[in-house]
Amino acid sequence: MADPLKNGDSGLAGTREDVPANEPLILIEMIQRLKVRDVMTSELAAVERTDPLRVAQSLMKNKKISGVPVKEGGRFLGLVSINDIIQALEGGYIDDPCHKHMSTKLVVLEDDMPLSFALRYFNKYHYGRFPVINREQQLVGIVCQRDINRALLIELTQEFNRLESESVSHCVPEDPFNLYVLREFPVAKYDFENAGKAANMIRKVLKEKKFPLKDIRRVAVAAYELEINLCVHSDGGVLTWRMSKGRVEITASDSGPGIEDVEWACKDGNSTAIEWIRSLGFGAGMGLVNVKRVADEFEIHSKPGSGTTVRAVVFVEPRSTDHRQHDQN
Amino acid sequence: MTILEVTELLDGRILYKGEAAEVDFKHVVASDLMSDVLLVDEEDILLLTSLASDQVVRTAQIIGAVGIILVNGKLPPSSMAEIAAELGITLGRSGYSKYDACVAIHEALKK
Repeated sequence: MADPLKNGDSGLAGTREDVPANEPLILIEMIQRLKVRDVMTSELAAVERTDPLRVAQSLMKNKKISGVPVKEGGRFLGLVSINDIIQALEGGYIDDPCHKHMSTKLVVLEDDMPLSFALRYFNKYHYGRFPVINREQQLVGIVCQRDINRALLIELTQEFNRLESESVSHCVPEDPFNLYVLREFPVAKYDFENAGKAANMIRKVLKEKKFPLKDIRRVAVAAYELEINLCVHSDGGVLTWRMSKGRVEITASDSGPGIEDVEWACKDGNSTAIEWIRSLGFGAGMGLVNVKRVADEFEIHSKPGSGTTVRAVVFVEPRSTDHRQHDQN
Repeated sequence: MTILEVTELLDGRILYKGEAAEVDFKHVVASDLMSDVLLVDEEDILLLTSLASDQVVRTAQIIGAVGIILVNGKLPPSSMAEIAAELGITLGRSGYSKYDACVAIHEALKK
C-alpha cells in the first residue's frame, strides 16, 4: 500500500502534467474545475470498527463490491478488502472485529481536491477506487473511475448544450438583423431518419427571431433541399449555416462521388436517384432547381471522383428587396 | 376552414393537434412528391398526401403548412406522429382517396 495522503498536499493539482498534452482544452478545464466531491458516490456501504469481518463479507456480497471502508463515529480508519476476507475465512477468524485485520496504510482523496488530482492517482496506483475524506478526516464518499466517467459525460453534455445555445449568438437580441451564426451539421448517406433536422432547426431559429416568413421559407427550402441532396446523392457531408448582417449562406459540402455533368444535374427533372429514394417522395430532379429558384446567389462546384460543394445565399430583411438578383424563371 | 374542420368533413381523425390547428388554411396541396410540395410558394397550406413518412412532416414544417392529412387510410409510422409533435405540426388521417378528399374540400369551401 502507498503512504497515506497528507492534508494540504495539493500542489500537484492544476498542473498541466496531470493531463496529456493532446487533451481537449474543454476537458482540461473541466477536470481542474470539478472537485472530487462533485463526482464521488456519497451513499456508502461501510462497517464500524467493532463489526465482525463477517458483516463486511456480507456487505461485499450484497452490494457486489470488493472493499468496505471501516469507520468509527464517521472517522475513516481503514479498509477491509476481499483479500482480507479470504484470509479470514482460511484462518478461521471471520468473526474477529474489522479493525484487527483492516488495511490502514491507504491512499485516500480529499473531497475538495480537483478531479485532475484523482485522475493522476488512478494512473499512479492502479486501484479501482479511493475512499474520500473531508478535512475533519471523516469518510464522506468513495470514488471509482466509473463515477468520474459519468460526471464528465454529464458535464460535457451540459457544456455542449451551452455552446449550442451560444452558437446562435446575438449582438443585439432585439434586432434579428444582427444575428450572427456559424453552425455545421453532419449529414450521413441515406440517413432519412435525421435528414431535414438541420433545416427544421434553421427555420425554427429564424422564426423565433421573427424574420419575415417569405425569407424564412426561402432559407428553409434551400437548406432542406441541400440537406436531402447530401443524404440522397453524396457519401455523406456537411451542411453549413452562416449568417451575418442579414446574409444567410447555406453550403453543402461532400467528398464524393461528385457530379458527372453539373449543367445536366441543375436542369428540371434530371436525377440519378434510385427508385426507393423516389418512393420516399424525393429524387425527382428538382432539388438543385428549387435551391436556385429561392436563392439570391447560387453556385456549384463538382468533380467526379472528388466532391461537390453547393452554396446558396439568401438575403433576408431588411435588405432582401435590395439584393434579390435571381431570375424568377 | 381549419384542418380540424376538414378532418371531420373527411370522416377522419386527428393524430396530433399542432399550433396551427385552428388557423384557416388558404391553399390545399395534394401530392406524394415532396419535391413538388417544396416548389409551392403559398402560405398557410393544408397538405394532403398518401405518403406516410417522416419526411412529409419535415417538409410541412419547411413550407410552414398548417398541417397534414394522410389520405387513402394510410397509417403513419409512430415516428411520424412523434416528429409532428416535436415540430408542432397537426397530423390527421382519413380513409378518403386523395381525389375524393380534394373534391369534398372544394365543395365545402364553395358553400
